[in-house]
Amino acid sequence: MDSIFCYRNPVTSDASSGLLQGKKVAVQPNIPVAGWPAESGSQALAGFKALEDAAVVLRLTQNGARIMGATHMSEFGFGLAGSTAGQAIAQNEADAELVLDLAGEARLIAARAGVWGFKPGYGLVPRVGITGLIPSMEACGILGKTPGNIRAILQSIAGPDERDFSQPDQAPPNFSTDGIEPGKMTLGVIDETVNALSEKNRVAFEKEMDDLKKTGFRIKALAWSDYALCPTVHQIVGAVEASSCAGRYDSVRYGKRAPVAKNWNEMYLQSRGASFGTLLKSYLIQGAFFQFERYDAYENACRIRARLVKGTQSLLAQVDALVFPVKNAAAPDAPETLTDFYKQFAHTAQANITGCPALCLPPSAANGTAMQVMARPNADARVMALGEYLYRQRKGGN
Amino acid sequence: MEFEAVIGLEIHVELNCATKLFCDCPNNPGDDPNINTCPVCLWFPGAAPRLSRAALEKAALLCLGLNAELQPVSAFDQKVYYYPDLPKGFQLSQAHLPLSKGGWIDITDEDGSPKRMRIHHIHMEEDVAKLVHEMEGRTPISLVDFNRAGAPLVEIVTEPDFRSPHHAMEFLKALRAQVRYVGSSECSMDNGTMRVDANISIRPKGTNQMNTKVEVKNMNSVRHVGDAIAHEISRQSAAVQAGDAVVLHTRLWDPDKKVTLPMRQKFEGPCIPDPTVPIIELSAEEISALRSRLPEMPATRAERFVKEHGLSAEEATYLSSDPDMAQYFEELIRAGAQARAAMHWLTTQLLPAVRDRRQELSQTPVTPARLAALLTMLASDTINANAARDVLSHLFDSEDSPEDIVRAKGLAQVSDTGALEAMIAGVLAAQPMAVADVKSGQGKAMGFLIGQVMQASGGKANPKVIRELLQKKLSAS
Repeated sequence: MDSIFCYRNPVTSDASSGLLQGKKVAVQPNIPVAGWPAESGSQALAGFKALEDAAVVLRLTQNGARIMGATHMSEFGFGLAGSTAGQAIAQNEADAELVLDLAGEARLIAARAGVWGFKPGYGLVPRVGITGLIPSMEACGILGKTPGNIRAILQSIAGPDERDFSQPDQAPPNFSTDGIEPGKMTLGVIDETVNALSEKNRVAFEKEMDDLKKTGFRIKALAWSDYALCPTVHQIVGAVEASSCAGRYDSVRYGKRAPVAKNWNEMYLQSRGASFGTLLKSYLIQGAFFQFERYDAYENACRIRARLVKGTQSLLAQVDALVFPVKNAAAPDAPETLTDFYKQFAHTAQANITGCPALCLPPSAANGTAMQVMARPNADARVMALGEYLYRQRKGGN
Repeated sequence: MEFEAVIGLEIHVELNCATKLFCDCPNNPGDDPNINTCPVCLWFPGAAPRLSRAALEKAALLCLGLNAELQPVSAFDQKVYYYPDLPKGFQLSQAHLPLSKGGWIDITDEDGSPKRMRIHHIHMEEDVAKLVHEMEGRTPISLVDFNRAGAPLVEIVTEPDFRSPHHAMEFLKALRAQVRYVGSSECSMDNGTMRVDANISIRPKGTNQMNTKVEVKNMNSVRHVGDAIAHEISRQSAAVQAGDAVVLHTRLWDPDKKVTLPMRQKFEGPCIPDPTVPIIELSAEEISALRSRLPEMPATRAERFVKEHGLSAEEATYLSSDPDMAQYFEELIRAGAQARAAMHWLTTQLLPAVRDRRQELSQTPVTPARLAALLTMLASDTINANAARDVLSHLFDSEDSPEDIVRAKGLAQVSDTGALEAMIAGVLAAQPMAVADVKSGQGKAMGFLIGQVMQASGGKANPKVIRELLQKKLSAS
């Protein structure tokens, strides 16, 4: 078994041309390539081969990119456990990788591997063909060694696809790096994010903010008491969506079907019971619980989500972008419960709930803390331009 | 104790769109199994539903045709249940924000008075796959046919305004007429494009209570809906009289035994908003553009038939219940036929003949122009009714005009008094008894004599002329 790839593209020649000619891209099996295994890290899809390319894969190959292979992934891309995404870039096997970002996975995996990770705003990149789990939250994330790699990929895969009706009918932006003038920009920091940090990480994060100030950015502290609700709302709404969405991963038409059963009800129950892993099963059962037993709580979570969207809008009306530390001091590396699981995504889930674009910077060598910038929906190009500016600054440019 | 029934209907209508609701697969469920499928309607991982514009328009026209109010914002929800005919685990339906609210259909009550039956709401949904149960050797197997999966449906949910089988049957007939008029569906219960579930409860007459209801399914004709409701009312009344409680459950109508029988319960949970299909927004302009596409509806047309052509309300309602029939009638009139004869010949002669030949009214070789020419000859006494029926059957097999057929077959009516007088003289001489009866005032004998003369003419004589000549002859002698 390959330590990075669960499937390597047997075709190694490169006769293509286009914007991405010569670029090596890795995907995960939930972002399918026609004919490749597309098991999405789950027994529920064991043996399932993709019938067609995901829309993003089609756009990559049309623009001349070489798809190197599919990396190992967590079950349905939910969480970080078992994922080797990021490694392909770190070990120079790829220039960029596509990773579905459900709660912050693409960004945290990037940070872990020391590369850049971007979650596009909702609707920028087509989701057609992607084996999803939480449709209203997830987006096809992009990992790159530099922001430039991510921009090149984005320029090729962004924009409406006629088969994806969830995308707005608007042309993709031009991902230029112009227009970043620190003296005219204000970056916001939500107080609650800093308060959650360990002493050591807080000092490091404040040092980074000081550096930004020295560059000319204005830093504005913002209080937002609703902030802590983000992971909770993500958990309840996401679990209900996942429970319903995973219905199609029935382990009957594909996947591992139970060999013996008295009738079809029993066959469905046994197959599904045997297919899903513990963490995902907890999530699906929790979703079913909210849907069938506590529908009022689910409705409240939807209402609170709308409030969080509004709150985020009004924060982003005061500043050009929000800056977050991404490491939560209390988050364990290998969560066993959903509560621990969501601690990992305490600072990333907001972008998924609200559909905002967010870019995670790798930890700068000096202090080891990763940082995330997030801007209002449709400001994807702005976030990437800011990322490019910060990248050059770290390199000692500008 | 006397009981009255409280009945509400849930009617599924399959839209006659060319494609399915969320993909471009042909909407032909009857084709070879699993031919009309793609990743979207097989509900495969990664497939994204794309709402069909045509289906939305047909559904919206149906709503307008039933006097319902289209909602500016509607959305799809996931109706979660597990069954092998729905292997993705949920059906896309509109539970929270339906396409339209309100609406009504006017029917005629048992006593002839008008009654308005209200509609609660109308929503769109996708159909599920079809299960086929077979034997493989001695092992029973279940096969799934996805041709029907994702077919476009609307569900019409009424208020519990119905009190009798008559109400339900009249409502369904009127609904079918109105939906056919807007062109959204054939609404055939026979081939499954209209499926009706009835929710029935009973209460002591004169009270306002809403008691536990029982849902009845599996009726495949309007008549069966009436029978099933009647059976369920008497079954529940007997149960309550006997002191048994009515329990909430679903029953299936058995058309052979004419009883309702309890069926399995499907597990169903609350619906959650679907995060993949965009919200449907209809602007005031779009709604009024749709409204302008509505044809004249059957009730209005029936009123016009009464006013313009002097038909009775009953005749006019029947004629306008089917758009093809109503149109044929209007074309007959335009081609010069008289209204009463047109109605009579269309409904009692042409329609049965068309059905016998398995043709459609819109495609039969007996065009309105040809039938009108025939009726004009009948009205002008060129031929009599016997001959006209004869010509009609020839019109199906020949491209000749009715005039040519009459000429070729020698069917023209004999009105020439000279020829008829000779025949009459012969009949009178042969039938002295009948002549005596007529003279003594027995009307029946006159008919007999006319028949005899008609027979002598080989069926071609003009009965009016025979009568006149006979009367003259008998009163003179």
